[in-house]
Amino acid sequence: MLEEFKQVKVGIIPCNGEEIGEGTLTRFACRRVLDTLRPHDTVTICLPLFIAGDKGERNFAKAFPTITVDGCEKRCSQKSTERLSGRPKHAIVISELLKEHGLEPPQSRQALEEKDKAAVDLVAEEIARKVDEILENG
Amino acid sequence: MGNEALMRDPFQRRENISVNEDFMEAPYDKFVFRVMKGYFYHPEECWAKEEGNLIKVGVTDFLQKTVGDVAFLELPEAGMELTRDGGAGTMETIKVTVTLISPVGGRIKEVNSALEENPQLINTDPYGEGWLFRVAPGDWERDKKILMDAQTYFPQMEAKIKEEMAKK
Amino acid sequence: MKKKVVVLPCSGIGKAYGEMGRQAIYELIEDLEHEEVTTTCLARLMIDDPETKSLVQDNLVMTVDGCARDCARKNVENAGKKVDKALRVIEIFKDHRDLKPEGVLELGEPGFKLVHILAEKLGREIDCLERKEQ
Repeated sequence: MLEEFKQVKVGIIPCNGEEIGEGTLTRFACRRVLDTLRPHDTVTICLPLFIAGDKGERNFAKAFPTITVDGCEKRCSQKSTERLSGRPKHAIVISELLKEHGLEPPQSRQALEEKDKAAVDLVAEEIARKVDEILENG
Repeated sequence: MGNEALMRDPFQRRENISVNEDFMEAPYDKFVFRVMKGYFYHPEECWAKEEGNLIKVGVTDFLQKTVGDVAFLELPEAGMELTRDGGAGTMETIKVTVTLISPVGGRIKEVNSALEENPQLINTDPYGEGWLFRVAPGDWERDKKILMDAQTYFPQMEAKIKEEMAKK
Repeated sequence: MKKKVVVLPCSGIGKAYGEMGRQAIYELIEDLEHEEVTTTCLARLMIDDPETKSLVQDNLVMTVDGCARDCARKNVENAGKKVDKALRVIEIFKDHRDLKPEGVLELGEPGFKLVHILAEKLGREIDCLERKEQ
């Protein structure tokens, strides 16, 4: 019984940035992890709700490990999380990740194109890898 | 299991149940599920609260969290007769339509008019401002017997939460 | 100098309403070509980004929240700016019961129909705001 209740889950916090395509990419990648890749091990934290002061989001982020996923170097999700709940276990910045792998950022913030699917996969798999690392190492 | 044993048991099993004067709450992932003390709970996720000669009725925090933001609400009118366990309107969200069940039989004396403009009070304050209607009960002592107090309802709610999470 | 209208969605990721608000704003800016309208990242207010704070302080602000939690409105107000107009996506849904989005991010045809209706509503609200400002 105690083990069930103490199951660790990892909170994924996308920046949801509205201004650039990478912000849109954070949303799709995070939902992919939540819905398909690691559905039993992850929870998404809604950043606007978190910032607005929701008790559930903030307490979760204090009690459980988090991974922030930012679209760009401004690192809004990472900085907000550090300020409001504590340092995330991992901080992913999509613009850097795409550059490392030679992928172009999405051109549109409104809709991701076919060519952006590789970017979604890359980011989602990176998040999933980080989730596994956290769960293995505690 | 008697009420006393149930009271002790959840607190021994869990580290993170909060209890204060008004309610018990249990966090699951990032969701905090609340159970208001002093209310009576029906298995179909509605509650009843004694208010003088009347019984106030609403839906549980578990239900509102499960179904989502209430967009449409159809409630019976004042003056209508309800039966215990019978239908008492519908609640519709973007995900689902739910039939509301009355935990008590009797005549509706008052319907919460604030819900006409703002049905999402059910989501923001299910045990307070989100109440549905008040009933003049036919036989409250009889109806109360099938309802659960907060301590009895709490583990049942937890079992349902686990079921929902396992569906994922 | 004429003020812009900064439209900020909550972009909530837990419900379809968040995505609908976001898409409506993009449609407003990019398809309906309201030149006076812009958007920016809501979270930049939290990190005290100076450009974002100044954009919000110096212009008209409209928030588009998914639901009654009003996260976008609260975030803007916490940054010290009173919003000029606050809308909720759920209010649009109430007038179009048959248009239920198919998923949280993949809205599908009915979801995008609602987005279009919302975008047009936003356009009208912006026109009202601008008339008041004159």
